Amino acid sequence: MRRFPIWSWVWFLIGLSYFFIPLISTFEFSLRMIKGRYTLEAYRVAFQDPRFYQSFGYSLLWAVVTIIISLLLVVPTAYWVQLKLPKARPYVEFITLMPFVVPAVVLTFGLVRLYGRPPLILTTTPAALIVGYVVLSLPYMYRSVDSGLRAVDIRTLTEAAQSLGAGWGTILKDVIFPNLRVALLSGIFLTFAIVMGEFTFAALMGWPAFGPYIEEIGAMRAYTPQAVSVMSFLITWGSIMLIQWVGRGARGQQVQLGGAR
Amino acid sequence: MAVERSPRADTGPRQDKGDAPSARPPRRPLSWAWVGVAPFFLFAILFLFLPSFSIFLRSFESLDHTFTFQNILDIFQKSDIRNAYKLSLQVSAVTAIGGAFFGFLLAYAVCMGGMPKSARSFLLTFSGVASNFAGVPLAFAFVATMGNAGLVTRIIENLTGFDIHAGGFTIYNFWGLSIVYMYFQFPLMVLIMAPALDGLRREWREACENLGGTTFHYWRYVALPILMPTLLGTSILLFGNAFGAYATAYAFTGSFLNLVPIVIGAQIQGDVLYNPGLGNAMALGMIVIMSLSMLIYMWSQRRAARWVR
Amino acid sequence: MAFLDINHASKTFADSAAVQDFDLHIEKGELVSFLGPSGCGKTTTLRMVAGFEVPTSGKIVLNGQDITDKAPNQRDVGMVFQAYALFPNMTVGNNIGFGLKIAKKPKEEIAERVTAMLGLIQMPELGDRYPFQLSGGQQQRVALARALAISPQVLLLDEPLSALDAKIRVELRYEIRRIQQQLKITTIYVTHDQEEALTLSDRVVVMSAGKIEQIGSPFDIYNYPSTAFVASFVGTLNQMRCRVVDAGSGKLALGDQQFKTNAPIKAGAADALVMLRPEELHMGVREGDNSLTGKVESVAFLGSVVRVHLKLGESVVTLDALNERKLVLPKVGENLTVSFPPHGCWVMG
Repeated sequence: MRRFPIWSWVWFLIGLSYFFIPLISTFEFSLRMIKGRYTLEAYRVAFQDPRFYQSFGYSLLWAVVTIIISLLLVVPTAYWVQLKLPKARPYVEFITLMPFVVPAVVLTFGLVRLYGRPPLILTTTPAALIVGYVVLSLPYMYRSVDSGLRAVDIRTLTEAAQSLGAGWGTILKDVIFPNLRVALLSGIFLTFAIVMGEFTFAALMGWPAFGPYIEEIGAMRAYTPQAVSVMSFLITWGSIMLIQWVGRGARGQQVQLGGAR
Repeated sequence: MAVERSPRADTGPRQDKGDAPSARPPRRPLSWAWVGVAPFFLFAILFLFLPSFSIFLRSFESLDHTFTFQNILDIFQKSDIRNAYKLSLQVSAVTAIGGAFFGFLLAYAVCMGGMPKSARSFLLTFSGVASNFAGVPLAFAFVATMGNAGLVTRIIENLTGFDIHAGGFTIYNFWGLSIVYMYFQFPLMVLIMAPALDGLRREWREACENLGGTTFHYWRYVALPILMPTLLGTSILLFGNAFGAYATAYAFTGSFLNLVPIVIGAQIQGDVLYNPGLGNAMALGMIVIMSLSMLIYMWSQRRAARWVR
Repeated sequence: MAFLDINHASKTFADSAAVQDFDLHIEKGELVSFLGPSGCGKTTTLRMVAGFEVPTSGKIVLNGQDITDKAPNQRDVGMVFQAYALFPNMTVGNNIGFGLKIAKKPKEEIAERVTAMLGLIQMPELGDRYPFQLSGGQQQRVALARALAISPQVLLLDEPLSALDAKIRVELRYEIRRIQQQLKITTIYVTHDQEEALTLSDRVVVMSAGKIEQIGSPFDIYNYPSTAFVASFVGTLNQMRCRVVDAGSGKLALGDQQFKTNAPIKAGAADALVMLRPEELHMGVREGDNSLTGKVESVAFLGSVVRVHLKLGESVVTLDALNERKLVLPKVGENLTVSFPPHGCWVMG
């Protein structure tokens, strides 16, 4: 009795084409380094460039640092707000909305002006870059951890554990972290994807991260940039897949809004 | 006289919604409890509020370090600055509306349009990926698609003999950039609308039918009004998203398109028009626009949450 | 032909038969309940009448018209959902008037009708409120008014009170019945709560696993259940497996105590399952009644009723006695003699 939903399929296929055509084109383009046949030459060239590894490693290092700092800032705060200080919640949530209001360009502008001169000079060190990355990742990290905490009603669990005689160490180890595992991993993977793909902070402050590297070779070469774009896409895709895999069966799909625009 | 007592059912622990104030009064004075969130606030103050505030202050600073409104006025008076804002607003509006429209149709198709469940999870996963795949690699992806040697360009040429780039046609303009932006705009719409569409309870549709309404009546009087706050809020979110985009624009059209983020970026790198006060004013203008977007978005969230309890 | 005929309706989903051969004839102005446990098919049947499910076989005839294949928005039925289903974006008044608005009635008529409905549900000043500002009970009253505003021929209620607090449930239950009787509207009421079904209905349809177990008045269902399911589902029931001493004279034995029943016993049966309602048992000996003695296992004071569990032979039997101020409650562990009339029990199987 049901009509075949022709229009649904039409929109769906259009949507899918929009997704896939650029991806296929990039991949196809990346194979055309040598005229006349498909080859992985572009990838070989990319992997031979020492700056590929330098910039990739550079971004990787700061991604890890960002993740650590972000976790250290966010997890205690989210926990505190949930358990001891619900009054702070509106303020904390306001802060997590700020990175949207102050986009990367603008923040860079402010950071460079403020911390580019005495008394506190940060911009000559990667500290300014990391600061930018942490700001960028804050909203997702916080939202992830916060909804993770809410989903397991951490307050009741903590009270139950306390009434059974558990100390704080046990509570952290056996009650909080196991239940937060999914939320933490989601936040971590997303932050990783964001930092690896980030361009604005790194380029404007002049640091040799992966993003600016891709842009540079894009300006100078052909085919190799597309090969590296394919790899960048795979990193993003891989991170999202990991988030989904880790969160399988967990309630509520998180809206993961990415970083670099 | 033995009377068996039937246990009275416990009403159970009160479920706080999380943002209601604590039912228990704090044991220690309130000031101590804030220590726990201090690092977070400190970080935010140092690296978010202070820079923003500095931008605000220095917008009123002239080249010879006196107070002036001139920078702000310049935004409206200097034609190239005004045009930069106009262009940014246009790109943002176009991609917000386009992304909202297309994203909504897609979300509708997989949530309520009679498609198999696998289509829905497939779309949501790819939307998650696509909304994060922005910036430099995305720009290059579109170059490989629609550029001079792009796949689509070549296919069209092979099929129709028509070289779309022949007459000086280029994709590196307003419309080309908009198409690129759409790549991360409409997935975002899909990701936010899908749960909203799920929130449309089946009973509302059935009640409407029961009272004599057709599909048209349902959408006109029930579904669209209920969805409207979310639709509006998400569109504004898309708008802000596009407005603040830097990496994609820079990688795709370089400095060719006179967009606000590009101009600000040029200022940071010490551009010709070296007037820091003006740069700050432009940055402030961006903050103002983004704040307005955020406020509208938050208002719409509140509206939507209130109805669909 | 009755006002609403459900003729041998069946509904099969993929691999399971949700409703099998449902046959019922409802008179105009009757309130009929569908009573049964979850999954028995009562809601599915209701939805077939509303048009949200299409019967796999069978017919539905309303006031002479075959509505089996009609779309839900073309039948003349009003439905009240378990989850209220009020449109959150409309005021109470607009919710109630929605059906009339769709039927393109003039504004004044709609306004009048809405006022009348608000009066009917006794919420005259709440027309401008939004659903989220109302309590559960109020929302359900509005849902009722909304369904009635279009003057349907039949009113369908799908477990309307299950989402509400116990106290509101009782209040609203009487409201619904009052309104139904005032309007004399034919009504089907689906519930799993037997107290509701017994209190409200003119007739009760007891269902189990997609089939009708029994159709009858509340009194008949309770006192003369036709199947074991109905007997045990409705009310509390004592089931005692007894030895048949003499089938002809109705003599039975429980342990080594004998008693008499007026119910027919199959000739040649060695034992019988005797059914007895707790309120038919009385503490103490009564002239002309059977009497049995057992050990008190528990005593529960429920307010108006005192419930005693008594061990008789192998069975534990429940006795319900009405409370009296001069009542002496039995003690746990003591021996208690109870009596019941021979016509108070019946035999099944």
